[in-house]
Amino acid sequence: MRNISSVLGRLAKSISVSLVLLFAVTMTSNAQDVKEGAALFKANCTTCHKIDKKVTGPALAGMSERHSEEWLVSWIKNSKAMVDAGDPAAVKIYEEYNKMAMTAFTHLSDDQIKNIIAYVGDEEAKLAAKAAEPQVAGAGQSSGANNFMIFGLVAILILAIGVVVVLNRVTRTLEKVLINNQEAIHAAQANEEAHAESRNAKFARAFLKNKKLVGFAVLMLVALLAVVGWRTMWNVGVHEGYQPVQPIKFSHQIHAGVNQIDCQYCHGGAYKSKNASIPSANVCMNCHNTVTASDHYEGELSPEIAKLYRAVDFNPDTREYGSNPRPIEWVRIHNLPDFAYFNHSQHVSVAGVECQTCHGPIETMEEVYQYSPLTMKWCVDCHKTTEVNADNAYYDQLIEAHEKLKKGEKMTAAMIGGLECGKCHY
Amino acid sequence: MDSNKKYWKGLEELNQTPAFIESNKGEFAEPIPVEDVLNEAGLSTRTPRRDFLKALGFGLGAVTLAACNRTPIHKAVPYVIKPEEVTPGIPNFYASSFNGQSVLVRTREGRPISIEANPNAIGLNQGTDAPTVASVLDLYDMSKLQNPQIGGKDVEWAKLDSTVIASLDKAAAAGKQITIVSNTVNSPTTLATIARLATKYPTTSHIQVDAISYGGIIEANRNSFGKAVIPSYHFANAQVVVSVAADFLGSWLAGEEHTQDYIKNRDYKSLKNGKMSRHIQFESGLSMTGSNADVRIAIKPSEEGAVLIALYNEITGQTIAGGTTNAKAQTAIKLAAKELANAKGAAVVVAGSNDINTQALVNAINTQLGAYGAIIDLDNYSKQYQGSDAAFQQFLATAKAGQVGVAFFLNSNPIYDYFNAGDVKAALAKVDFTLSFADRADETASELKAIAPASTFLESWGDASSKEGLFTIVQPTINPVFNTRQVEQSLLVWAGDTTSIYDFVKLNWEANILPGTGKVWKDILQSGFVYKGSSTGSSYSANVDVNSVASAIVNDSKKIAGAVELKLYESTVMRDGRYANNAYLQELPDPVSKVTWDNYAAINPKFAEELGLGENGKVTVEANGQSIDLPVVLQPGQTMGTVSVALGYGRTKVGKAGNEVGKNAFPLASLINGTVQLAAQAKVFKAVGTYELAQTQTHHTIEGRNIIRETTFAKYLKDPNSESGRFADSHKTYDLWNKFEQPGHKWVMAIDLNACTGCGSCIVACNVENNIPVVGRDEVRRRREMHWLRIDRYYTIEENGTKFTKEKEIADIQDFENVTVVHQPMLCQHCEHAPCETVCPVLATVHSSEGLNHMAYNRCFGTRYCANNCPYKVRRFNWFNYWNDSRFDNYLNNEFTQLVLNPDVTTRSRGVMEKCSMCIQRIQGGKLQAKIENRKLKDGDVKMACQAACSANAIIFGDANDPESEVSKALRNERVYYVLEEINVQPNIGYMTKVRNTFEA
Repeated sequence: MRNISSVLGRLAKSISVSLVLLFAVTMTSNAQDVKEGAALFKANCTTCHKIDKKVTGPALAGMSERHSEEWLVSWIKNSKAMVDAGDPAAVKIYEEYNKMAMTAFTHLSDDQIKNIIAYVGDEEAKLAAKAAEPQVAGAGQSSGANNFMIFGLVAILILAIGVVVVLNRVTRTLEKVLINNQEAIHAAQANEEAHAESRNAKFARAFLKNKKLVGFAVLMLVALLAVVGWRTMWNVGVHEGYQPVQPIKFSHQIHAGVNQIDCQYCHGGAYKSKNASIPSANVCMNCHNTVTASDHYEGELSPEIAKLYRAVDFNPDTREYGSNPRPIEWVRIHNLPDFAYFNHSQHVSVAGVECQTCHGPIETMEEVYQYSPLTMKWCVDCHKTTEVNADNAYYDQLIEAHEKLKKGEKMTAAMIGGLECGKCHY
Repeated sequence: MDSNKKYWKGLEELNQTPAFIESNKGEFAEPIPVEDVLNEAGLSTRTPRRDFLKALGFGLGAVTLAACNRTPIHKAVPYVIKPEEVTPGIPNFYASSFNGQSVLVRTREGRPISIEANPNAIGLNQGTDAPTVASVLDLYDMSKLQNPQIGGKDVEWAKLDSTVIASLDKAAAAGKQITIVSNTVNSPTTLATIARLATKYPTTSHIQVDAISYGGIIEANRNSFGKAVIPSYHFANAQVVVSVAADFLGSWLAGEEHTQDYIKNRDYKSLKNGKMSRHIQFESGLSMTGSNADVRIAIKPSEEGAVLIALYNEITGQTIAGGTTNAKAQTAIKLAAKELANAKGAAVVVAGSNDINTQALVNAINTQLGAYGAIIDLDNYSKQYQGSDAAFQQFLATAKAGQVGVAFFLNSNPIYDYFNAGDVKAALAKVDFTLSFADRADETASELKAIAPASTFLESWGDASSKEGLFTIVQPTINPVFNTRQVEQSLLVWAGDTTSIYDFVKLNWEANILPGTGKVWKDILQSGFVYKGSSTGSSYSANVDVNSVASAIVNDSKKIAGAVELKLYESTVMRDGRYANNAYLQELPDPVSKVTWDNYAAINPKFAEELGLGENGKVTVEANGQSIDLPVVLQPGQTMGTVSVALGYGRTKVGKAGNEVGKNAFPLASLINGTVQLAAQAKVFKAVGTYELAQTQTHHTIEGRNIIRETTFAKYLKDPNSESGRFADSHKTYDLWNKFEQPGHKWVMAIDLNACTGCGSCIVACNVENNIPVVGRDEVRRRREMHWLRIDRYYTIEENGTKFTKEKEIADIQDFENVTVVHQPMLCQHCEHAPCETVCPVLATVHSSEGLNHMAYNRCFGTRYCANNCPYKVRRFNWFNYWNDSRFDNYLNNEFTQLVLNPDVTTRSRGVMEKCSMCIQRIQGGKLQAKIENRKLKDGDVKMACQAACSANAIIFGDANDPESEVSKALRNERVYYVLEEINVQPNIGYMTKVRNTFEA
């Protein structure tokens, strides 16, 4: 899956790039081309801008009215220079956006920029039309709604009465038929029952007579119960496969799988601390400040990301943080008992164990579940087989000593005390 | 092994009382009634077999059902915005200071969990005293106020502020005094905020008064040198120390810093160089300092002055009248004077008295000895105690005259700790508006009109200057737990200054402290202190009229002389009572008497016999017209005809843990010559009733086996192996077991008996680090204290036939005055052939390849065989689920104090054994850090909690497989022996013989 999607992604990227190049080559005339503008806009602008919404940068709708084309070209090419030069309009925007300068696009030609402006204007017009349309329709609907609804209700009522009448007649006919044929039906039923009873009884009698068979069956039953019981007992408190419902439908498959975000980006604790730690909501906001997944929700904010915004009290329209954050209450999936000490950094940083070794194919999980049993046997088995990462200078003195004991043999965690009680229980 | 000395922990053991023999038969005080249940009567009466089976059946069913439940839901709630410096699971350290000592506060996920000394600090830098280690618990004290109060009702800060400002304005308009009564304030910031208030309200004055007054020393120094200060003492430079009733290793001035310096001349490194100081102590009650002295002479409190006069005469050859007539003391003084005179420039005399004349005489003696400069430093003087009894008297008089409009009490609780509480109450009644900054409605605060609860030092910005030139920072490590506000901020608000306290502290440092040091604010936040003083003081010469001083001493001594004399003292643990609600400190046994959770009247056993008192008796102590009933402790070493009582107990409004613990002895003090005196004439008589103290001295007794090795310095110089009595030196040992290889690390410890003073801060540090529960007085009485580390205190009496002929002259065994003491820290010895391991039926305790004896709590099911089989008696059993049992809520088990728990250590459940783990979480943490940094583990990377708290450096821990490690070197010392080595359990903790620098004939 991952491969296919990434291949597709790459393909799409190369196609779009070549399309842009194609347009750039073919369109030599001064006529502003909305199509080229669209391609350029998607390639360069969408990270920070939307037509109708303020994102990282301002909403672009109406920019041609606010500023002259000349000014816009110069701004897009190098806004910082304009700010430095003290252009009043430029300084105003710069101040408004917390002195975050817009990326300079010196590689775009004036014509290309004009194409983008044309595209924006075009889109703006489309949006305006769209906004106007439903408004008109809505007005019409609301005036006609009452009549339409009344007519509809009356029609349904008449239809229902018709159905009731027809069904009544059918019932009556069927009852008549039943009364006429009652005796025949009774006879048939009695016959059938007698036949079935005798067959069951016969089988039971035959089975009970065969003592060996009974004994065997009982034995098998006991054995079955024992096996089931034994297995159940061993799995008391083992929650392998545990997959609770989380307050936010966070998908590792999208983040770690499709987008290939490194584990460390969110779970940095795993590399330096005993806790892998769930990332704080501000880490999510690093990306979700702009990533709203609105393409999948018809231009609306994803409801799951909306939960994140609620948690950090972020208003996507004003792009401001409120003062009432509410931490996300995730449900813990991996629960070690209090008496077992586990340190992530020992395993991840020192031993170099992959996250997937214990957490499974996390990059394919839509919802995370407990992949490993987390039993002591599971820990111990791994300690018995895993070789110590002997590159670490800490082990120099240990390995020296061990080599005196066992020449040439591999050294596992178990051999340097990895199975001792006090390594995990204190 | 060769010693024929008899060591005993208490008189019960010495006399082999029936109760002692009975209670030492078993490991546990109260046997489980197994026999009762199993015999026939038991079956038909109390717990019939059928009931038992019913219960068993029900239990099985219940457990089966309980096991069917689904995965419990645990919530994981991450930060919304994670503070940059916090990584869950990794501790942060902040430089701060407590009582002027620069410390490092360890926090986890934003909450302080322990305090250690700042290793780079000036002065005390290798340990902390017990109150400092325990102070982290006070942050989470649930008995504190959660809001400001007016008239006992919670109010908003705004309301309090307006009320206070109105009162201040009223007082100012009426021209009345505004007085801030505090204990010693040496914080530059606090003083600056008081000055800010005084700028707005010019009638403001600041009065300092300490519960334990050192006014005598200050006044004496004013008279002798024109400098009204308490000097700093550098015992590291003293080869001969004579102390007259000064508990200078414990509660006297900077006891912990003195310990660090004093031990430098007595520990194994000093002995290795053939050097050891000599310490002679004259005192009435056996103090912790006295228990460490080489020679200790029991005198009465009224004889203190006479002893000093005699000492002065001996040193100078003068014959001033009033020298002591006590024969024992005279002999000792002659010897001591000779020693002192021989060691001029490296000798010092200290006195615990608060009498101006006595201290003036001490100044004269020290001038003769040339102690000013290297040992007594008047330039970089101590600023810890600046209280003036006279100033407080003055305040009371002004208040009674109705001239005080507003009185603020800052860290001051005179209704509890002033000897005449009635006088204070009468004065306060005449003050228009009174307010306390106490963090709880204590004895004084609850009598006042308003309380503005102050934050603790862990929640505040601030600073301290415990010594001239030394400035330490206080920085917050957590937001205030309750709705409290630090004093300085309150004073600023009332002075109309809106500066935040952080800015105020920073600006104050940048303007007044940092210039000239080449450091900036951020450097201070990291280092924690700045020192602008000099390394040593200059020489001073006291200007004292010895004759008139001596005659005044003689006159004043008569006032306290009597058939029975009372001596009030500040206990090493409880101090002046301000920490009384700290459960760790209440349960820490007194270094000498080993009593927990009470104060008592210490009386010589022979004297008690005269009074008709026995064990568990009670006495009435009467002095200065006041009397209290106290339980009796038969204290060997106590002077005949004296009674000692600790201060700091008997709080009534301190909190759930500390209320009504012991009796308040402050009312027995008196005012003589303008300073508060703690000695008095007294009457002692038997009171009705009995009282059993929770005394740990005979708990966990090692059956009279010979486990202490002691020698004298003279013998040591001849043969460093002297008296070490190593079994292996004279016997061949055989092993039943195969040798267990320890190719990686081998963790071992060395304990220097000569360095250990018995102070007990290691015990508290261990409690805090390892989540050890506090069990309370009743459980201690049942011998169920949970301390993993205890300090055994052994007494000996020099019996006939010893070589100390001079000592024999002053020794009179018959009156129990002449005992010597050895303190021995005892903890799990991590035996290579551990007897506990072989008897555990479930392998819950097993040996590791690093030489540790592991204890897996989750395997243990509580047979307690291990504890029965441990020759060192260091295993502790959880009789209750201390962390989930409302009976223990007042100590540690409540929603606030549980926040002090170390998250790296499991809390143990009921029915489980526990013992010293050698701070395995620290070992594992240190190893992991080395692995992450891709390097070998260095010596000193891993420090035990007890070791880090020990300012005497008596505990040395490390890797025996590293021949260059500190501990390997220490264990190669000739003095090293192993306790109970002869039973071949091969302990991993080596002890070094106690060396006593006694007078030789």
